[in-house]
Amino acid sequence: MAENLKKPRPLADVARIVRSKNAGPGLLTIDLFFNTDSDYSAAIAAEGLQAEAVAARYGLSANRLRVIPYPLARAIKITMDRLITAGSPGDNDVYGAQQHALLLDVDIPEGDTP
Amino acid sequence: MSGPSPVKLMSASGQLGYGVLKPAFERGLRHEPHMIGADMGSVDPGPAYLGMGKMATDPGMTRRDLTMLLEGARSLGVPLIIGTAGTAGAAPHLDAVLAIVRDIAAERGLSFKLASIRADIPKDRVLRAQRAGELSPLGAFPAASEADIQESPYIVAQMDEAPMVAALEAGADVVIAGRACDTAIYTTVAMMRGHGRGLATHMAKIIECASLCCDPGGRDSMLATLDAEGFTLDCMNPDRHATPTSVAAHALYEQGDPFTVREPSGELDLSKAVYTALDEHRVRVSGASWRDTTPSLKLEAAAPAGFRSVFFAGTSDPRVIARIDQIWTEVRAVVADLTGEDANAFLRARFYGLNGVVNWPAPPDPLPREIGILVECIAPTREQAKSVITVTKQYFLHHGFPGRLSTAGNLAFPFTPPEVEVGPAWRFSLHHVMQVADAAELQALFPITYEDL
Repeated sequence: MAENLKKPRPLADVARIVRSKNAGPGLLTIDLFFNTDSDYSAAIAAEGLQAEAVAARYGLSANRLRVIPYPLARAIKITMDRLITAGSPGDNDVYGAQQHALLLDVDIPEGDTP
Repeated sequence: MSGPSPVKLMSASGQLGYGVLKPAFERGLRHEPHMIGADMGSVDPGPAYLGMGKMATDPGMTRRDLTMLLEGARSLGVPLIIGTAGTAGAAPHLDAVLAIVRDIAAERGLSFKLASIRADIPKDRVLRAQRAGELSPLGAFPAASEADIQESPYIVAQMDEAPMVAALEAGADVVIAGRACDTAIYTTVAMMRGHGRGLATHMAKIIECASLCCDPGGRDSMLATLDAEGFTLDCMNPDRHATPTSVAAHALYEQGDPFTVREPSGELDLSKAVYTALDEHRVRVSGASWRDTTPSLKLEAAAPAGFRSVFFAGTSDPRVIARIDQIWTEVRAVVADLTGEDANAFLRARFYGLNGVVNWPAPPDPLPREIGILVECIAPTREQAKSVITVTKQYFLHHGFPGRLSTAGNLAFPFTPPEVEVGPAWRFSLHHVMQVADAAELQALFPITYEDL
């Protein structure tokens, strides 16, 4: 099939928004928003966005992280335990607003033409 | 349409004290809402404000915002509800806001009945819950020890709308609440007028951040009109539009789960929520439902974690940058030797350009030509922190290593003195749910005081 020959693209080039923030001091939540249904489906299917793979990037075991598809907004939510509570000694990011960058180069396979 | 008549609620701000935008607020007043609300706090800025008992916002700007809201609400003769007074909603935060409110009333000749609601939970009550195993950590938070409770200057719990309803029923015109659920600010008047909790809570959850739910997102006043079947969202800035996508997306914001929102007395189920465009600017929302659960209290507290001293420096030397981890390990060993402190426990460095923000699995290739270095010491006493950071600064500056080119110094300091004493460091000590005996206890934990101004 033709689409199998297409190159994967990094998440940063596919998503409309990639953002991270605390959801309370003990959780970090990352939201990925997509422009088209095809980008959204491709991201849902991407190996690098499965719970195990994302957890590995953040140094967590997969049971401390959830990947929640939210089709209403063509979005994927990733919620994980914070290794250090927000603002405690050793934390690098009190609001958790800059923890998205570890995901930006995840490969998203080319979806069907929208 | 059967059921309760429509109610109009205006959210003036999601973070009162950073500057309420006047044009949208005044446009909102012309819609004659049945209440005006604003949230003033959150746990987002971290544990320090709760621990110190201080506001995060600038006093002058806070006063400006409160003046605008008080005058607006009094001009319409509708209730004004402020949630989580003074950033963290403990006694000193609430007292600071009340002092400003009294001052504004006197200065502007405003006369109203003021209700203030405290949200401080007595330590002995929390200790009793801890010993009885009635304190459950939220998420990955560790279990609470007795020390966590004893060392925390302030312990607050989030109130729901019950005490706010009681205050308005007693004739209050202005309600200033300590720590409160963001949603309670708006569900209060909606539920007093007979509206169901599910839709009211969903509406409240969206408008408590003002126009952040719009496209483009902003900080303008937001108007919601709630009826028996759903609610309409209307941004008071004509250039920010509530769209089905922007509003649905807001369900994700700072929420661990987009389908379920946990509140003190139950759960909001958003799995059947529907968002429809009314026109290019307004959205109609319906479909949320509510499940009652056993009432509980969400506690928050912060405890001291020692004293913090820091210095900031930069380096442009490629050999320093290439072996920065090694240099840092050696400097720490020297400091530990000299100061007799456990420097490994007290000292921490963040290398901006390499790993200051994110724990990257590998360094960048090529390495950056400059890096910023923040060295932080958190020690049990202020003197220890200062002493360790001072010695560290000098040994980092002059640390020698094989192949060193720049033998006069490894670091560039942007100002002098380079060592900065930050003061006490804080940590969240409680982020727990506490079981309560019954509704009567719940009521007693949030006492209301009335004043005629």
